[in-house]
Amino acid sequence: MSENGKRKVKVSVNGLTKKFGDLLVLDDISFTVAEGELLCIVGPTGCGKTTFLNLLSRLIPPTRGNIMIDGEEADPKKHNISFVFQEPSCMPWRTVKENIAYGMEVKKVPRDELESRLKKIMDLVGLSDSADLYPNQISSSMEQRVAIARAFAVNPDLLLMDEPYGQLDVKLRYYLEDELVRIWRELKSTVIFVTHNIEEAVYLAERILVLSNKPTTVKAEVPVGLPRPRDFRDPEFVEIRKRVTDLIKWW
Amino acid sequence: MSDKPSSGNSKVLKILPYLSLLTVLAVWELIVDTGLVPNTLLATPAQVLKLFIYKLNHADPDGAVLIVHVLTSVGEALTGYILALLIGIPLGLLMGWFVVAEGLVRPIFEMIRPIPPVAWIPLAIFWFGIGLTGKAFIIWASGIVPCVINSFVGVRMTNPVYIRMARTYGASDWEIFRKICIPSALPMVFGGLQVALAASWTALVAAELIAADAGLGFLITMGRRLLMPDMIVLGMIMVGLTGVAIGIIIDRVEKRLVAGMRR
Ligand SMILES: Nc1ncnc2c1ncn2[C@@H]1O[C@H](COP(=O)(O)OP(=O)(O)O)[C@@H](O)[C@H]1O
Ligand SMILES: [Mg+2]
Repeated sequence: MSENGKRKVKVSVNGLTKKFGDLLVLDDISFTVAEGELLCIVGPTGCGKTTFLNLLSRLIPPTRGNIMIDGEEADPKKHNISFVFQEPSCMPWRTVKENIAYGMEVKKVPRDELESRLKKIMDLVGLSDSADLYPNQISSSMEQRVAIARAFAVNPDLLLMDEPYGQLDVKLRYYLEDELVRIWRELKSTVIFVTHNIEEAVYLAERILVLSNKPTTVKAEVPVGLPRPRDFRDPEFVEIRKRVTDLIKWW
Repeated sequence: MSDKPSSGNSKVLKILPYLSLLTVLAVWELIVDTGLVPNTLLATPAQVLKLFIYKLNHADPDGAVLIVHVLTSVGEALTGYILALLIGIPLGLLMGWFVVAEGLVRPIFEMIRPIPPVAWIPLAIFWFGIGLTGKAFIIWASGIVPCVINSFVGVRMTNPVYIRMARTYGASDWEIFRKICIPSALPMVFGGLQVALAASWTALVAAELIAADAGLGFLITMGRRLLMPDMIVLGMIMVGLTGVAIGIIIDRVEKRLVAGMRR
């Protein structure tokens, strides 16, 4: 399935560099993401994964280099970018349904289009029965699903996910990982999924970018061509997981 | 085990507050009746009650029936209070989000804030006389401070994740202010309403003590001038009761508003 050569380039990152004062965090990073690709980025804690996503979504400016989406400089006002944050991001004053609708409201999606997309996405993530509940009435895994539903609802050109399942227990994580793959296949979005969990990356990714320690560069690129649904015990799966683990252990 | 401070018979607990109130009233009545405290300095509860009933429909000796004093005070208080909310809350909210608003307003605000509102009374009399306008101004000046501060802090305490999320969807500063910062600040803003009310009510009574021709503070002043300790005490009690009543009403309104927004 690694057919990146044939697929259209969605995102291209060129010579991206970020310094905080004297601290060089990202050092001259370049790569491309194909349209509709599910790319995982793994790297040790503190290597700059969150910083990298913040740059991609223009929350902070790069020191050098640029990020192009469809050949244009990335811009949240122009491009359809969604970000699922590491921290819970449900607004407590909005119901589940209103939280999911937020991104579409900002994008000024017409009312009836918004309603029909809401219905579809809530069915997809299994939140239809909880539509009118408030965040303090639902579990943290449901909150994370709200964030994911909100992110997918805008039909993003680029979906950024920052260790979205880091805080959840293993069982829920497995469940939500499957859910992510299902939604991604159905909606054909381009996804960059950041994690420090290697197994999660091998389970999800079409391709894995392995980052080094600070100052961070792309250490290696590992295509994952396994068929889905994937099995953690499949020898090929274990083999790829070992390869990525060794890459991270290298230093 | 209960998490209450200590357990006891609930029926007994229910009577206790009444019991303690009755005791205070009885002791109060007794120390005046027995001459321990001269009646010229302190009125008995019975005298206050008698005056209360008398003042319900008699304008003399101070010039107005009780309800007129109450309504005068409430009218002045609400005028100033509502003006304080209308100006203070938007100002505080804007200062919390827009650096330009903060940069412009904050120095003035910080300069005026340390001046106790009652210190404005002489100037207010100078400018507006002893009518409603002057009093409304004093109350406005005392009520606006907590309104500004709470709204400002409420916006500043907005969880930055919500703001970042809004930005990644391409929301403008103004949209973030309206859809994220304001709803997020509302609980703090509502907290400020009660603080502002307490400040307003205190300032009002102080203003009326000094300059007025009606109102509860004026009733107290008249009691002093006419050497009527029962009128002083009646005025004090009415100030307390009216303050509590307004507080309860504001609390109700607030609860209803908050319930409409989140459960
Ligand atoms: N705003 C900032 N100012 C200064 N240093 C920062 C800032 N944001 C992140 N850093 C530093 O950049 C490095 C990478 O952080 P981060 O991107 O959060 O790592 P990760 O998400 O991979 O765990 C850390 O050393 C962190 O201290
Ligand atoms: Mg991080």
